[in-house]
Amino acid sequence: MSSILLLTIILAVLMTLVGGKKGLISFFSVLLNFVILFVAVILISVGISPIGVTIFAGLALVATTIYMGNDEEKTTNVAFIATVISIGVLLLMIIPFDKFAAIQGFSPEQSEEIEAFNLLIGINFESITISVTILSTLGAIAEAAIAVASGLDELMEQNPNMTLAQLYESGRNIGFQIMGMTFNTLFFGMFGGDLALFILIAKMHAKFGYYLNSKIFVSESIEVLFSSIAIIFVIVMTTYLMGRRIKNKELIQK
Amino acid sequence: MKINKRFILEITLIILSGLAIFFITQHNERWYQQPLAQVMTVKNSQPETTEDEFKNKDQQTHQKLTFKMLNGKHRGQVYPGTNTFSYSGGNDQQFFKGQKVFVNLEKNQNKTYVTISNYKRDTYLLMLIWALIAMTYLVARFKGMLALLSVGLNFIIFLLCVQIDVHYNIDHIFGLFSMSALVFLALSLALVIGINKQWLVTFSSIFIGTSAAMIIGIIALALTNNQGIHYEALDFATQSPKQLFMSATVIGLLGAVMDAATDIVSTLFELKRTDSNISRKQLFKSGQAVGKSIMGPLINVLLLIFFTEALAMAVLFFRTGNTLNYTFEWTMSLGVVQALISGIGITLVIPSASALSA
Repeated sequence: MSSILLLTIILAVLMTLVGGKKGLISFFSVLLNFVILFVAVILISVGISPIGVTIFAGLALVATTIYMGNDEEKTTNVAFIATVISIGVLLLMIIPFDKFAAIQGFSPEQSEEIEAFNLLIGINFESITISVTILSTLGAIAEAAIAVASGLDELMEQNPNMTLAQLYESGRNIGFQIMGMTFNTLFFGMFGGDLALFILIAKMHAKFGYYLNSKIFVSESIEVLFSSIAIIFVIVMTTYLMGRRIKNKELIQK
Repeated sequence: MKINKRFILEITLIILSGLAIFFITQHNERWYQQPLAQVMTVKNSQPETTEDEFKNKDQQTHQKLTFKMLNGKHRGQVYPGTNTFSYSGGNDQQFFKGQKVFVNLEKNQNKTYVTISNYKRDTYLLMLIWALIAMTYLVARFKGMLALLSVGLNFIIFLLCVQIDVHYNIDHIFGLFSMSALVFLALSLALVIGINKQWLVTFSSIFIGTSAAMIIGIIALALTNNQGIHYEALDFATQSPKQLFMSATVIGLLGAVMDAATDIVSTLFELKRTDSNISRKQLFKSGQAVGKSIMGPLINVLLLIFFTEALAMAVLFFRTGNTLNYTFEWTMSLGVVQALISGIGITLVIPSASALSA
């Protein structure tokens, strides 16, 4: 049996034991996301525009992450819209930025791994870099959005006469906690992924200027930084959208 | 009105600091010892169409450039140089007039010319860091800065451990980075919740969840003889790739497990405070309920982070005639294993956090 199969079975069993039916559904949402990602990679390889594929795969990934784990329709819809808007804004910032910073494709440090390949494969690596940034952040953005939305919804239920100012105040409090934790998830996830790279850089006795300019270090950092900016944006956006619901309710009552 | 004035002052300061960073990084040639040059003129050749054995069509263009040296003893002098870029741009780039690059000066038959070594990217990196700090401050004020500080501190500890590893050439890097993971954990939790009983409970539940997940992962890999896993496919590996991979997994897993555990523990402590008569069984149940709803999204977060790391490499494998199975094993399987072990950790921390807080 292959290792991945065994680990997948262990995960499925544990998730069902801990989460019951909901756990099993969550397991299938992870599985479905894996399939979406795999299909996206194949579509990009076939030659379909990476950014187009990312937009469609991204919508599907956000939808499974948000709708398959939660059944509160009010909060999930707000979280979904906030996530999509944030990713749209992120995309508009990344496209020109990545072009200026020229961080596409492979770096000199990777030359050993790619020397067997002819790199002229006719697919634009700049778009692939943009896809990677968007796809890797997507989950964290969606998770932050759903956490803020359900937290605020809980508060609104306990205190139905909440004013807009109070809501924004709570939004900031909840948002801050979630921001701190999501930053940690993102940074640890990405530090972990870059461990081997950091060791390599340290072995080269790199100077400070290397960190500020090298393609690989700058591109990895830009990915983390853009993700964090998107997290802040989505928290603000979700709070604002939840606030609009209160405003609408006030208008109806008048 | 007083608040408004302060706000305007803050915005002005933020914008001014941004402009200052931009201006300084545009004129910091003297910081660097390596020769830096600016592209003065560009002449592009006609694009040539190339085709490889897999019928991938691409375009290559040659550029004839002149560079003005910006620092060092050749400052102000102009030298020629060449560059080639392709449509796909896997490891090349098109240069435009005005861009700054790190170069090497070379001599050939009494003619000095320039070879390009690295593009100057410091302005972009620093501007983005500035944007993140400014946004965090505007949205979350000093509390937000604390979150950034915790990340920054962790980053410094992380770099220190890397230095220790390289300096002493440590064999058991897995041990070293597991220890550093414990330090990250203790520090981040202390900054977020302060050092108290809640800190101890959160810390122990994360410790139990993470170690259990790693033990299960290692046993499962050993039982199946690592079938289908190629540790040697790990990017940038300079030491035992298996240990590097395991260290990367522990660190990557920690953030998400921390997220799940703090959610559960803080909810249960809040419940205990509002209702001191609540039974242990009830508390455990509430903990499980919180855990159930965050489990799926968190595992998805990690799947996306780990999987997308290999995307560019996977596309390259596919385009050069490799099969689905081969591409998966050599580019994506490591990320998938990391995501699976992390998923197991996230799942296990739910009962351990619920039981310990109750």
